[in-house]
Amino acid sequence: MSDQNHLAAQRGYHYRMSRRAFLISTSAAALAACAPSTSTGGNAASSAAASAGKAMKIGQLLPFTKVYAELGNSMKRSTDLYLKAKGNRLANRPVQVIYEDEANDPQVGLAKTQKFIDQDQVDVMLGVVATPIAYAIRNAVDSAKMIYIATNAGGNALTRTTNNCTPSCKSPYIFRSSFSSYQISEPIGEYMAGKKNVKEVFTFVADYGFGTESQADFNTGLTKMGGKVTGTLKAPLGSADFVPFVTQLKAQPTKDIYSFFSGADAVKYIQAWNQLGLPAAGYRMNGAGFLTEQDVLAVVKEQANGAITSLFWAVELDNPENKSFKDAYQKEYNLLPDVFAVQAWDGMRALDEALQQTGGDTSDKPKLIAALEAVKFNSPRGAFEFDKDTHNPIQDMYIREVKTVNGQAVNTISDKIGRVTDPGK
Amino acid sequence: MTFEDALQQALNGLSFGALLFILAAGLSLIFGMMDVVNLAHGAFYMLGAYVALSVTRATGSFWVALVVAPLALAVLGLIVEPLLLRRLRGRHLDQVLITIGLSLVIADFIRLRDDWGWGATVRSLPVPPGLDHSIQVAGSDYPIYRLFVIGFSAALALLLYALHRRTRLGALVRAGVGDAQMLSALGVDTDRLFTFTFAVGAGLAGLAGVIAAPVFGLQPGMDVDALIYSLIVVVVGGLGSLSGAVAGSAVVGPADTFGKVLVPQFALALIFAIMALVLLFRPTGLLGRVRLGR
Repeated sequence: MSDQNHLAAQRGYHYRMSRRAFLISTSAAALAACAPSTSTGGNAASSAAASAGKAMKIGQLLPFTKVYAELGNSMKRSTDLYLKAKGNRLANRPVQVIYEDEANDPQVGLAKTQKFIDQDQVDVMLGVVATPIAYAIRNAVDSAKMIYIATNAGGNALTRTTNNCTPSCKSPYIFRSSFSSYQISEPIGEYMAGKKNVKEVFTFVADYGFGTESQADFNTGLTKMGGKVTGTLKAPLGSADFVPFVTQLKAQPTKDIYSFFSGADAVKYIQAWNQLGLPAAGYRMNGAGFLTEQDVLAVVKEQANGAITSLFWAVELDNPENKSFKDAYQKEYNLLPDVFAVQAWDGMRALDEALQQTGGDTSDKPKLIAALEAVKFNSPRGAFEFDKDTHNPIQDMYIREVKTVNGQAVNTISDKIGRVTDPGK
Repeated sequence: MTFEDALQQALNGLSFGALLFILAAGLSLIFGMMDVVNLAHGAFYMLGAYVALSVTRATGSFWVALVVAPLALAVLGLIVEPLLLRRLRGRHLDQVLITIGLSLVIADFIRLRDDWGWGATVRSLPVPPGLDHSIQVAGSDYPIYRLFVIGFSAALALLLYALHRRTRLGALVRAGVGDAQMLSALGVDTDRLFTFTFAVGAGLAGLAGVIAAPVFGLQPGMDVDALIYSLIVVVVGGLGSLSGAVAGSAVVGPADTFGKVLVPQFALALIFAIMALVLLFRPTGLLGRVRLGR
């Protein structure tokens, strides 16, 4: 301490605290420490006997900072909208949603999940954008027997049987309202080789778990129909400059390129693709749907024209549920919903439907799991149900092509692959 | 790789290096003069890009933004230096903390300003008309804007060199880098000189933001990327000298590009490996001088 003061004195300030400052700061800290513990004391008793009529706590673990902040915001808007439409009650129980920021960090995500389990004692949990976070919290959720609905994280292993549960594996308590990377990558491979007779494809994906997985699943689909991947290129996630990579694409002869990129990476990729004149040189862009979602199209506009991607939804999808969802979302926020909003919406909808079957009971876990497994409804994406084996959704995949319609670049639906489910292993 | 491909990739590396030079020049200048490692440099770069976005939207001209955004950042520098940094002079750790803090404030401010068309979504600044097409280079299309970046950066380096070597202000800055205390004893108002230097450094960060925006786009996290790259450049080239920034960016830009092409799995590690080697064998950087302790 005296050393520290000496050092500080050299720098022209001192650390010594007056007694009054010490008392104020320690008592403030003590108060802060007490506040949450008194409230959890009360909750411990109530949630053990959680039953119809009592307030239900839903934990939403979403990114509100860092690179995926906007995805988190979108999913929060959708959740709030759903609850508002239901008068803030699910199955006649008032609902309290607790939002926490996973900050795109598995350790933070795990700590916040523990907070949901121990401190908030939530009845169910939803959320998580990045797959590594979903993998990191899997064991905590499983051993706490807490129902968790993943509303984005698409890594295959989260709903599969794997060796030694590495990197993750399915749990009876984990459901997913979004997709697995198999679902958005394998069918378009089959479609290209089988229906479009494209037998040779070069792949260019983001060099991280999800990109590699998407590339492998696409390869599976393409080879199944007699096609072949002629080569693979990977770009580090968040590469500053995409021109060196696209220069390499142009230096190889295969004209059909399959890609997995999203957000800022997708924007840079599509811009470099045009700057280097790949469309004129006869190259064709294909990919998993996130390559051309609205966040990307809003920036690149007609530069993505002609790109063919597969996804389980598109804002232009023509069905009554999508129309009313879009209208409600636009009325509330003056914004078009994106695919992340749909995933969060369907997570809440699935939970709502299941709770109606259990009469709002969340304490009997096997009963709630059975109710979730039986859920069937029409989502903005079309028919939605969980695969009873994996708890991953069974859903239609749409083949979309980017076109300019009324001066706006949009994903037009050109084909549909019905009822795609994850193989589960 | 054919000769044409190699030539194209060399151009890619050169234009990336040119961007890095504009970015690193400001950081290097501030460090050389004031002995401050300005960790808000990446945030200044980001803010420059977003200001350019707003100015381009309002006026429809990239060229207006190219003037306004660096000036706006220079004004910010004029405010920040006397307000925050002056009272921490000589306290390195505290300077590091306050500049990190400032960078967090700026990044969050940008993230929350949805109403200005900033926010957390990806934005892009269109390539200015006239530079938005491609020309034939080595038998293949090459975006002309990237060639413009190389030319602009070279012109800027020459301009800075001339200012540095041929003007009274440059002489003062050089004297300040050499020995600020002696300069002050000779009757030069070093406080004003430091404020001016910091403003120029911030302005250069803003300029880099404008020039880079059409190539790299605007998104959350761009500040951290820019800061890391510029720190690598100044460490490799040599802290505190203009020629060091030139040397550093001339090495790091092409190394990063060819690393991605030839050893993609190792690409990110490559530039860090170069930095580590330079630190081992030339701790002052390629063109850095030995600094006498202050």
